[in-house]
Amino acid sequence: MTDDERLDGELGRLARDYHRPPETPRDEMWARIQAERGRRREAAPVVPLRPWMRWSVAAAAVLVLGIAIGRLTAGRPGTTPAAATTALRGADVAYRVAAAPYLTRTEALLTSFRAQSRAGRVDADFAAQAQDLLVTTRLMLNSPAARDPRLASLLQDLEVMLVQIAQLPADGDTRGDVELINNGLEQRSVILRLRAASPMPGVNARGAL
Amino acid sequence: MDDRELIARVRAGDPAAERALYDAHVDRVYRLSYRMAGDDDLARDFTQETFIRAFEKLETFRGEAAFSTWLHSIATSVVLNGLRKVKRFRRREADLDEADGVAGGAPRAEPDLKRRLAQAIDGLPEGYRTVFLLHDVEGYTHEEIGAALDIETGTSKAQLSRARAKLRDALADFAGDWIR
Repeated sequence: MTDDERLDGELGRLARDYHRPPETPRDEMWARIQAERGRRREAAPVVPLRPWMRWSVAAAAVLVLGIAIGRLTAGRPGTTPAAATTALRGADVAYRVAAAPYLTRTEALLTSFRAQSRAGRVDADFAAQAQDLLVTTRLMLNSPAARDPRLASLLQDLEVMLVQIAQLPADGDTRGDVELINNGLEQRSVILRLRAASPMPGVNARGAL
Repeated sequence: MDDRELIARVRAGDPAAERALYDAHVDRVYRLSYRMAGDDDLARDFTQETFIRAFEKLETFRGEAAFSTWLHSIATSVVLNGLRKVKRFRRREADLDEADGVAGGAPRAEPDLKRRLAQAIDGLPEGYRTVFLLHDVEGYTHEEIGAALDIETGTSKAQLSRARAKLRDALADFAGDWIR
């Protein structure tokens, strides 16, 4: 046996302590698998989208996001309608499709979180939802959306808020953490800015675009 | 009852068969997830997602390969994709910490062999690390690794060889103690 072979054998033996797994939590994971499968079945769309319907949905998503970007750029001093249109054209289509539900979900989460925490209770589901939204936030920050400084600033603030919510302990006293999050939401006007960026039903798009 | 019978019963809507199939394979999937992630929450998430996807896609399983091979290809995909997302997020957090000047802390004590080995494994390229952990730590064959990662058996062997060489280099100053 060569020295290298002897070393490899020793490395393999020592590496068994690397990330040594504990006992498999079978029943806990099975319960969560069943719950998640049930949730996904309920959330699954009942109407299969035909190709023309997919285009319609995509077009609608692009439209509402265009409204959001328009609302952001319209309020900026010195921004001309032509500049806003150019910025919109340059945005990535995939981003625009993804952004509308993301902004709506984030607004819903933060609004519910603030309301519930003021009433003295915080659901454990908030942490999981915040964790889920964090992935999209990062994608958005890496997308053409982040070229808009106002939207980028909003996304950065959202990321901080979502991280804090995602890291809330499941049990124990969270009042201090919750207060910190709510102070951040207020001081940075996060929900207000989020609502300004989120598409709203019934909005008149003509002025914004 | 073997996997083929269990799968037939799952397809026929037998929930007890689903649980039996899960019980038969969950240990290995969880161990793989934990070895790769080093974190119980992540390992649970990855294991759960693997089985959710497997049950969702079970109709597409044709039985050309063993069920365990098919399941482990789902598991490695879930784990590697999940870890990439976590890594991106942690890198961002680390960047923020550095920018704020709050990172760092007290200098570490002289690392012992196991800690140095853990650091060296963490520092391996993703492909090398995966093959090393699957083969040398979890005991997968190169054929199983090839099927799970969708790579040639020869590629798996080559990556293992390079992984071991990198680890030997990283721990060269300990070598004298081992080969006496």
